[in-house]
Amino acid sequence: MVNNRNEYSSTKRNWIAGIIVTAGLFLLPFILTNFGKTGEYWIWVTTEMIIMGLFAMSLNLILGFGGMVSFGHAAFFGVGAYTVALLMKKAGVSLFFALAAAPVVAGLAAAVIGWFCVRLIGLYFAILTLAFSQLLYMIVFQWYTFTGGDDGIHGIPRPEFLGPLNYYLLCLVLFIICFLIMRMLVNSSFGLTIRTIRENLERAKFIGLNVRRFQWLNFIIAGSFAGLAGGLLTELNRFSQTEFLHWSKSAEPILGSLVGGMYSLLGPAIGSAVLIFMKIFLQQLHKGLVEIWAIILGLVLLVVVLFAPGGLVGIYEKAFKKS
Amino acid sequence: MTIQLFIFMLVNGLSHGMLLFIIASGLTLVFGVLRVINFAHGSLYMIGAFLAYSLSTLLTTGTLQSFLLSLLLVPPAVALVGFVLEVLLFRRVYREEHLLQLLLTYALVLILDDVVRVIWGGDPRNVARPEIFAGSVDLFGMALPTYNVFVLLVGPVIALGMWLLLYRTRSGNLIRAAVWYPETLGALGVNVSWVMTSTFMLGCWLAGVGGVLMASLANIDLGIGMEKIIESFAVVVIGGLGSIGGALLGSLIIGVGITVLQLPFGRWALVFPYAVMALVLILRPWGLFGKPER
Repeated sequence: MVNNRNEYSSTKRNWIAGIIVTAGLFLLPFILTNFGKTGEYWIWVTTEMIIMGLFAMSLNLILGFGGMVSFGHAAFFGVGAYTVALLMKKAGVSLFFALAAAPVVAGLAAAVIGWFCVRLIGLYFAILTLAFSQLLYMIVFQWYTFTGGDDGIHGIPRPEFLGPLNYYLLCLVLFIICFLIMRMLVNSSFGLTIRTIRENLERAKFIGLNVRRFQWLNFIIAGSFAGLAGGLLTELNRFSQTEFLHWSKSAEPILGSLVGGMYSLLGPAIGSAVLIFMKIFLQQLHKGLVEIWAIILGLVLLVVVLFAPGGLVGIYEKAFKKS
Repeated sequence: MTIQLFIFMLVNGLSHGMLLFIIASGLTLVFGVLRVINFAHGSLYMIGAFLAYSLSTLLTTGTLQSFLLSLLLVPPAVALVGFVLEVLLFRRVYREEHLLQLLLTYALVLILDDVVRVIWGGDPRNVARPEIFAGSVDLFGMALPTYNVFVLLVGPVIALGMWLLLYRTRSGNLIRAAVWYPETLGALGVNVSWVMTSTFMLGCWLAGVGGVLMASLANIDLGIGMEKIIESFAVVVIGGLGSIGGALLGSLIIGVGITVLQLPFGRWALVFPYAVMALVLILRPWGLFGKPER
């Protein structure tokens, strides 16, 4: 089915491609600013792609590398989002402090929820993550005085110097830093252990690994990155809403990971970007197509699950290396 | 809180619990045989509810005939949808990883929920209750809606029917055998994949019955599928996956819990199923009636 799961080391070609793409991403907004309103719109879109890419990559630490299906990852995305929103709007904290707090608070939430969840495996793990995220969603939804309930929190301040272009660059730099950290993690002995557990839980126990502790740590790390992504999206939109915690938000990184390829690090980010682009492309093509967006997404997911579980990256690797 | 109000809420809670049981028992039955937890079960229930609505607009609503007709026609229609899904999709992933099975049914939720939205739109709807159930019954000086009492009574009938089917008929024997020894069953010359398909259809039929009953119990909108699938998860988690008796107990706990807790806590009572589910998963992950993982 998937025969290149264990190749995470970068070849020389991948390095060169990576540098070219990174340079392109840094140049992109400077080109786009010359196109007036349309350019500004696309800067906004690409910023969203970067943020959602980070979110998907964070989920994939547990989904692809850990082999644990979480249907509640939006919980940590939402916690990060509300951390930034509440700190900036109600406590008047500066953006950078708020963005630093988001992964910490989300990580704490992940520590509490994860402590319970990693006691379970497979299906039960998936259900419990869904239950906890819906629980959090309900709390945010009901606690009107603190979270604004259904209305969300609007009008989050934006520092003067952070125009759309600078905000794009900030997100890109943070994305690259997070990518490098995750890459280091995945290639470290910790990453190897996590993959060992995915491949054979029983054997991992037999060789003396504390499986739960590794899964718990991985869950916390994934939650922290998701929190940062949530915080960044809140500042981009300048509002935070209950939608960020909803189960359908948990679906987005899953879909991105599946389409991009969950057995690679960057695949989920590529998948998310492709999906966002596809949505906008369909919108341009015909307005009615966006009406049935979820149907299209579901069909894409069906095709991927049935015919290409390795996603786009899997297809790319199959095409270039005959392994 | 007077004792009368409490009884009133209790009866209401029991009728909601029974509705939940009809849906959750389908989910647990399918899981028992197919070993696939069908996230799309709630969507199938929602399709049933909306089909009942459409059928009622074609007939004269509020008559017993139209109610019975939709109870007769809609569940088989939902079972037919299930048949198509099982043969085209589910059958292909029985031998795959759990992860892919979960994601497949998840994709179906996205598709089916949106199909419902495209066909019926987002407005809340309901189906008028048939006139003999429209009134109320007198119980200890409390006026209980007759329809709720009716739903409360349908639950045990379904439970009894399922017990008779599973333990007193040959088909039931085959289904129970398929839960534990599918290979042996196949070696005995039984067409196991047909047993699986029909079990899946039975599960979908139950979701359809739930949908028809729900359409007259309260408003139906696009959220009811997700709401009920999560409540059903709570039910099967409490009772133990694959256990019908456990589903009955779990449904009553959830149904009564939500309704009765609404008195002191208002809308916060909706947190109840999640809290119970989390608690049971932590303390006894295989549920009250289930067995620890083999």
